[in-house]
Amino acid sequence: MAAIEIERLTVRFGDVLAVDDVSIQIEEGEFVSIVGPSGCGKTTLLNLLTGLLPLESGGISILGKRPFAGNPEVAYMLARDSLLPWRSTLANASYGLEIRGVAKELREAKARQLLARVGLADFERHWPKQLSHGMRQRAALARTFCLDSPVMLMDEPFGALDAQTKLQLEDLLLELWNAERRTVVFITHDLGEAVALSDRVIVMSARPGRIVKQMPIDLPRPRSVRALQKSHEFHDIYSDLWEALEAGMKGAPAMIE
Amino acid sequence: MTAGLRVYAAHAAFIATFLGLWEYGARTEFLPQLFFGSPAGIVAYLWDGFAVSKKIWLDLGYTVSGTLISFVLGATLAMALGLAFVILPKLEQAMDPYLMVLNAMPRIALAPLFLLWFGLGIGSKIAIGTSLSFFIVLANTVAGVRGVSPDHITLSRSLGASPSQIFFKVTLPSAVPVIFSGLRLALIFSMLGVIGGEIIAAEHGLGQVLSYQQATFNMNGVMGLLALLACLGMLVTRGMSRLERALLKWQ
Repeated sequence: MAAIEIERLTVRFGDVLAVDDVSIQIEEGEFVSIVGPSGCGKTTLLNLLTGLLPLESGGISILGKRPFAGNPEVAYMLARDSLLPWRSTLANASYGLEIRGVAKELREAKARQLLARVGLADFERHWPKQLSHGMRQRAALARTFCLDSPVMLMDEPFGALDAQTKLQLEDLLLELWNAERRTVVFITHDLGEAVALSDRVIVMSARPGRIVKQMPIDLPRPRSVRALQKSHEFHDIYSDLWEALEAGMKGAPAMIE
Repeated sequence: MTAGLRVYAAHAAFIATFLGLWEYGARTEFLPQLFFGSPAGIVAYLWDGFAVSKKIWLDLGYTVSGTLISFVLGATLAMALGLAFVILPKLEQAMDPYLMVLNAMPRIALAPLFLLWFGLGIGSKIAIGTSLSFFIVLANTVAGVRGVSPDHITLSRSLGASPSQIFFKVTLPSAVPVIFSGLRLALIFSMLGVIGGEIIAAEHGLGQVLSYQQATFNMNGVMGLLALLACLGMLVTRGMSRLERALLKWQ
């Protein structure tokens, strides 16, 4: 059974057709990125998967269930770190577990473990305002990975970071993911990031959002994002996908094979 | 000499010169004492009030307790109503026009009515002070709650937080800084209301003494009380800022 099944999904906001007839199947343990110009319905898709947006037409199932807000099998990571400024790093990292009713000692132990893995072991008592952007996003990664949800949905988590910090965090994400291989749906508009991280990249067109191209990324794992940027294969895949992305920006062409 | 010390020295020199010229003017009758008093006279008045006849203490007590009671009463009611508005948006819709009219009214104009209802004592002063502090805290509570970050709500909802979890773990803590800045203002306005009420009609309180000193042309008393009120206001603001810093370390 596929971990996530999206079947003939169509989304309208009033008269505007936002997503048009999109079907995607994602296997368990697969890392899939969805790229596309802004307004292509990437975030809409993610909000449907989290159950924050009600589903109107088409079918979505996550591990055999319809999406609903608070699904314990889904961990959601937003574009901005959304750390609660009145909570210490530790209390932020354990926030998800706290909402899910995990006892204080257990959730703090788990959060400490994750903070150590993201390199924030010495910062558990700091307030978010005392952390740099990169550190804040590390804390948000820790919060997301603290949850033992088999499916992770990430909405441009590194979109607001500077190039260097972004590389570091991409490698960190790969390291964390590689250890457990959970199913990931990763939204981004950075094609390089999508290629470097994913098992498969799905390119979507400008509104109405349609799938322009799906491409498996057969680069060997474990990967290093920095090393990949020097490889020829990486650049070939990148330019292939870039063409599809460019075609998609002009509107919604037929599927490119 | 450090820069900080130099600034203090400059202030001290300025104030000494100012007071010296004032005193000199008063003694040579260039500045009529009937209108301006004199620094020596002011010190003598305050010294008598605090240390010799000790009459000021009672009035100070009335003003301070009136201020604190109005503040606590107004702030508590306002926060309760503001938070009730979050839970019951319809209540806010229904009450909004009435609150707007009440808030638009210059509250000190209610003083004659409050004096009639609650008498010359501290009750009427508390009513005026409360009517001022209430609206400030209410506006800030509502603004604070509305200012909650949509990202925090989205994250919490995706985690399956219940409405009460969202309220206590997200909405309320995020509103605290805004509520706090309302509280600081409300404390000053409580004092304003109480002193205003005392000036209009009272048996005790610094406002009443001020009005009496003015009516008997004792300018040293008037000036002395003004200085005292300024100190009191500053003390109150300082105290609130300290409390705020201690409670809101994360900011």
